[in-house]
This record gives sequence, C-alpha cells and structure tokens, in this order.
Amino acid sequence: MSEIALFGAVEIGLVYALVAVGVYLSFRVLDFPDLTVDGSFPLGAAVCAVLLIAGVNPWLASLAAGLAGAAAGLVTAVLNVRFKILHLLASILTMIALFSVNLRVMGRPNVALLMQDTVLTPFYGLGLPDHIVRPLVVLVIVAAVVLLLARFLSSEYGLAMRATGVNARMARAQGINTDAHICSGIALSNGLCGLAGALFAQTNGFADVTTGIGTIVVGLAAVIVGETVLPARALLLALVGCVVGSILYRLAVQVALTADVIGLQASDLNLVTALLVAVALILPRLKGKSRAVRAAR
Amino acid sequence: MIVVQDIHVTFGRGTPLEKHALRGIDLTIPEGEFVTVIGSNGAGKSTFLGALAGDVLAEQGRIAIDECDVTRWDTPKRAGLVARVFQDPLAGTCATLTIEENMALAAARGQRRGLGLALASERRNGFRDRIAALGLGLENRLHDRMGLLSGGQRQAVSLLMAALAGSKILLLDEHTAALDPATADFVLDLTRRIVRDNRLTTLMVTHSMRQALDYGDRTLMLHEGRVVLDVSGTTRAGLDVPHLLALFAKQRGGAEISDDSLLIG
Ligand SMILES: Nc1ncnc2c1ncn2[C@@H]1O[C@H](COP(=O)(O)OP(=O)(O)OP(=O)(O)O)[C@@H](O)[C@H]1O
Ligand SMILES: [Mg+2]
Repeated sequence: MSEIALFGAVEIGLVYALVAVGVYLSFRVLDFPDLTVDGSFPLGAAVCAVLLIAGVNPWLASLAAGLAGAAAGLVTAVLNVRFKILHLLASILTMIALFSVNLRVMGRPNVALLMQDTVLTPFYGLGLPDHIVRPLVVLVIVAAVVLLLARFLSSEYGLAMRATGVNARMARAQGINTDAHICSGIALSNGLCGLAGALFAQTNGFADVTTGIGTIVVGLAAVIVGETVLPARALLLALVGCVVGSILYRLAVQVALTADVIGLQASDLNLVTALLVAVALILPRLKGKSRAVRAAR
Repeated sequence: MIVVQDIHVTFGRGTPLEKHALRGIDLTIPEGEFVTVIGSNGAGKSTFLGALAGDVLAEQGRIAIDECDVTRWDTPKRAGLVARVFQDPLAGTCATLTIEENMALAAARGQRRGLGLALASERRNGFRDRIAALGLGLENRLHDRMGLLSGGQRQAVSLLMAALAGSKILLLDEHTAALDPATADFVLDLTRRIVRDNRLTTLMVTHSMRQALDYGDRTLMLHEGRVVLDVSGTTRAGLDVPHLLALFAKQRGGAEISDDSLLIG
C-alpha cells in the first residue's frame, strides 16, 4: 500500500468515525436501531456543499450540515415515540424521504466543490503535504467531538439518556422523560452523521446523493471492530474504540482491495462490509454456544 | 398524604379480554403511615400501586398526593413525589450502569437534569457513606456494574435509592418475593429503618400474612379491585394470621385456602 493510500484510508476512517460514534449513540446507548444515517450523512454533505458554493463560511456550513442531520434524526424519533411507528420502520421512512430531499437540496444528483474554501483550506499552506493535512484536521475535529460527547454522557442529562436505553421503565420511575431523551439522543446521533457528511464533502471535493448507501453498515462495522479490539466499559474508551474501529476497518478494506490475489474490486466493498458485519454478529453467538456445549459436557 | 377517590381502571376496554381491575377504591392515607396490602393473585394490588405511580391512568376518580391533584400526571412527572421498589430486582436498576451511576440517577429524581457532572466527587463521597451504612461492604464496589450484585444486594441498593431524593411516598410491590428468607428479613428490616428515618408514607404489597401484620400501622386487603378489609390500631393489633386467613377465605366465597399460592410466613 502506498503512503498516499495509507493516509487516504486513515482520513476516510476518521471521517466515518463520526458516523461510528453516532451509531454507537443510537444502537448501543439508546438501544434504538436507527437507519436514518443512510440519509442524514448525504444530507450533511449536500447542505454543506450547497452552502459552500453560496459562499458561506465553511465552519458555519459544517454546523448547518450537523443541524440538518439532527433535524432528520428528530423526524425519525418523533415518528417512533409520538406516533408509535416501529423504530426500524420509522428510520427507513425518513431515510427514503431524505433521498428526495437531498436531490432537492442540491438540485441535481451531485455537486463538485472545486474552488470553494473548506475548513481545510487555511491548513494547506503550512508546509505539510495535503494528504497528511487532511487526516490531521479531521483528527482534531473527531477528538474534540469524542471528548465533548464523553463529557456529555457523564452529565446528569447524559446519564439519564443512558438509563433510557438500558431500562426505560426504571428511567421513567426515576422521573426521566424517556421520550424526550430518545428524541435528543437520535437527533444528536444524526447530527454527528450530518457533520461527517460535511467533512466527507470537504475532504473529497464533492457531494453525491448515492454516497449514503450502506453508511449505517459501515458505522456498525466500525463500532463492532472497535468493541473487539478495545473491549472497554469506560465511556471515553468505548468512544475511542469507535474511532479506532473505523480506521482499522478502512485499512482492512484498503488492504483487501489492493491485494490483487483475492481479485476484489472497489465495487465489492458493500458485499465485503456486509459479510464482515454478519460474521462479527454471528461470532459471539457461536462462541457462547460452544462454551455452553463445553459446560454441558 | 395520599387521597384516592373512587378510582377505576379497566384493561383492554371494549375487547373480549376486558378486565375491570380496579372498581372504585376510596382511601385516605395520612402522612407517614406505613400500609401493608394483601390480596389474592389478580386482586389488583399491582394495578393499584401502578395507578398511584402513574403507570396506569385511572379512567374515573381522583388521586391527590400532598394536596396536589396528580390524576392526569404520567410516571416521570409523579416521580418527584413517588419512589418505588419493584418485585423483580432487575426492574428497579440499570444493570449495565455502575452502582454509583444508579444512585446518581435516583438522587436527581424529580429535579431538572442539566449538563453538570452526574458524579462530582463530593456527591460520590455522599453515596459511599450511605451505602457503607448498609453494612454489605458495597462501599468498595461503587464502580461495579449493578448487574454484578445479587438480588438481595440490588433490592437493598434500590431501597437506598428510593430514599435519596426526598420523595414523599414509597411504593413496594412484593419487593422481597424474589429473595431467600434470610435476605428477605434483612431487606424488610432495612425497609422499616428507611421508612422511619425518612418519614415516608408507604404502601407495601406482600403475600405474607405475617409480614402484613408485623410491619406497618395499617393493613388493607384487596379483592377483585375493591378494598374489602381496612384495619389499623387496636383492631389490627388483635388480629392474628388465622383471623386474616379466615377473612381471606370468606372473601373468596369459602374456597379452601390449601390450594392458594399464599405464603404463610
Ligand atoms: N397490562 C395489563 N393488561 C391487561 N390486564 C392486566 C394488565 N395488568 C393487570 N391486568 C389484569 O388485572 C388484574 C389485576 O392484576 P394485578 O397485577 O393488579 O394483580 P395483583 O393483585 O398484583 O396480583 P399478584 O398477586 O399476582 O401480583 C388481573 O386480572 C390481571 O390479569
Ligand atoms: Mg402484583
């Protein structure tokens, strides 16, 4: 693998680390399987790209992308808690709707960012090669997000959110409005995915409605890889695990695609990812079974 | 103080499984009174406690706690006034959160939860002192996940949690039913202590006639959604388990008691 390919894999891994952290929040903390991500990620990319072209400050554009993602998450959460639509179905509805919304936002299937300033622009002239500047800047953003999120989840409000996911009945008996915490948690999760979409658009120089497909699976893969390499109970470590998992996943994909012997092409990526997640979900079960069988003997 | 006026609860209204679980309960429980509640399976005891806590809303009647009409309030809104311990030790705590996190959740019951740290250090020390007073050696395990504790330990911590936020009312629904006799006695003693120290108005559901008479100041018997016995003071002091069993049998239309699921403790 060339140096450029290596840093490229780390960079994309770091961008998707924000998705992984968001997915951790919905799937693990809130126990709410949320597929909205496949729509909120390209939504973030679309909103950011359109605003950049309109000449908006790149940080403001990224913030707006996060807010747009959060709004999408809120729609899913409200469909679930207020109108009692099953969480999976609610998120699929939002995701499908977002495909049309994203086309409307951009006015066409894809938008290229050529001359626009991005959050990366000020750092390009500092002497480091571009392919190192990009992951470094994203790393700083990801680190800030992870620290803030860990602090948030240790607050009174964040603890109530965690309780909502673990034992909603207990949470309600302790005076926690579980509906409100599901709404804010899913909004936050998708806000992070929207921000990830914004960073994707800025590091890759384009936004495309089709980039969203499979985002949720990639995020889940990162969470699972992270849990395997860093089986931590502590919150901060679990979040760091998501980041590490996302980078490792991208490196593994890069290796698989560059190793000609296996004969994989870039278009096989989704198949490989789906297989990886399936295996990761099946393995603990098999392990548990063989342990049970051994214990029974 | 709790004032309950003619509350009715029906499950599955309009379906073939319609169940009129509470059929007009009228009750006034003065501040600080400890009431034990008995009744056969399906009598409506849990439903009654659920109606007080807000899990089920009464379709008719009125519930007031401390002069505050809470009839239309949902569970989270009532939580500032009402603390509970469930029958299932798993139900009342968060298994994957630590002991101190569970305590922090309970300590903020009924208050606005902001962005301040849930486990600031002075708070932690307060929890440590409280839990040390249990005498279970849990003060060194504050960082352990709740799920690692035994059922009895979890119920003891749940009781402690119930008293952390200064609620007015404590609802106990067979909270010792899942415990072995020695542990159950320990938890009951702890219950008595916590109720006394915090002057909590308490309702305790039990299937043990012995417990029903030994603990508290007043005993209620529910049957088919109604209060059929309400004794306190000297009348209650004069009652013994056989009396209670006889009354019980009478309410059930003379059905013999041997096949009942009652525990006579
Ligand atoms: N959620 C519900 N839906 C439908 N019916 C219910 C529901 N909860 C309780 N019931 C019914 O209401 C009646 C009263 O139930 P409840 O749980 O209050 O009894 P209980 O006195 O607590 O009995 P036990 O001693 O077995 O705990 C029962 O007939 C029960 O089947
Ligand atoms: Mg019951």
